[in-house]
Amino acid sequence: MAPDAYDAIEIEETAVVSVTELSARSGLSEVELRVLVECGALHPSQLEGATWVFSRRSLAVARTARRLRDDYALDDVHSLAILLRYVQRIEELEAELRRYRR
Amino acid sequence: MKYKDYYAILGVGRTAGADEIKSAYRKLARKYHPDVSKEKDAEEKFKEVSEAYETLKDAEKRAAYDELGRHASGEDFRPPPDWERAYGSGQPAFDDIDLADLFASVAGGRRGRRHAPDGPLPGQDYEARVALSFEQAYHGAEVEFDLGVIEHDGEGGLRRATHKVKTRIPKGVVDGQTLRVPGKGAPGINGGPPGDLFLDIVVAAHPLYRTDGLDLHVDLPLAPWEAVLGASVEIPTPGGRVALKVPPGTRAGQTLRLGGRGMARADGKSGHLYAHAQIAVPTVVDEKQRALYRELAEHSAFDPRAHLEGN
Repeated sequence: MAPDAYDAIEIEETAVVSVTELSARSGLSEVELRVLVECGALHPSQLEGATWVFSRRSLAVARTARRLRDDYALDDVHSLAILLRYVQRIEELEAELRRYRR
Repeated sequence: MKYKDYYAILGVGRTAGADEIKSAYRKLARKYHPDVSKEKDAEEKFKEVSEAYETLKDAEKRAAYDELGRHASGEDFRPPPDWERAYGSGQPAFDDIDLADLFASVAGGRRGRRHAPDGPLPGQDYEARVALSFEQAYHGAEVEFDLGVIEHDGEGGLRRATHKVKTRIPKGVVDGQTLRVPGKGAPGINGGPPGDLFLDIVVAAHPLYRTDGLDLHVDLPLAPWEAVLGASVEIPTPGGRVALKVPPGTRAGQTLRLGGRGMARADGKSGHLYAHAQIAVPTVVDEKQRALYRELAEHSAFDPRAHLEGN
């Protein structure tokens, strides 16, 4: 039997996740997330009381960071933050290249 | 189940320390990671070394692996009789899983026994890559794909499963965008909410349109006289052909904007279509045309290189 079709939705710009939820869903520890924020690799969308909240888009960034950490067995979060920035830059440039090749 | 020699895959001895294993893995990860490697079969190799490292870096998994005994690579084997009781998490289901799944279940069993969550936990999110044609991205589409997951079998073990998933992609999605299918990740634990399914969208290149977010760009070749005199030309847009007014004196490289003719999202937000003027010249001209060009050259005081004078 054909499965039902589910609606894929745009990721709400305004929807937010807490540090705890971001940690649970990305596989990075809260300490690692904090260092990534301090290094400017992740940007909290707002400060809610004393805790950070992140946009849902941060989930994709945090997942990429976890994948890099695991794939290269990195144990230094500062290096991870730098690597993450390079990966983001490469993705931006590749997207730009794809646009020009079309 | 086929045996894999994780030590041989990482190129270390069976008595290697944790640091030696990590160092060997890092070296191989740098060599074979599909993001950076140009080696043939890099992806397969990388999967193999990361599977080996996943087990050997964890003291408990490594002990469980060592308990399996030594076998030749590729040899069919079954874990010893007591193995499942010591390291497994439930009913053995060794026939339809591979070594990697077996050690995922060692970790699952360990977490289940020692760190049983007492509160609700959200289910794991799933992630899939969805390739769309330009037209599908523009109009929206219903797509069906296979999602491979490792899931609980209901008896405490894990199994590999493939689910057919059908989703409706809204119109106006762009390359590199991530979409969310709420609640279609793994089921929650202890009554927690299910995870979400995230879709990474890849949009195929279109022969005419270049995309930049919701904006579209198209090249607009003009005849020299159209550029000089101005013209009304018909150009294609994804929504159908439209007439574009080219103002007199249009230069090559100049951009003409068609407001709201880019990608349109379901929420009403839309991009623009930018036509980039190019001056095309005929490569074959007959005698009469050649005479007209000569006459034009004689009459014109236009110097396209005036700005180069004195440099």
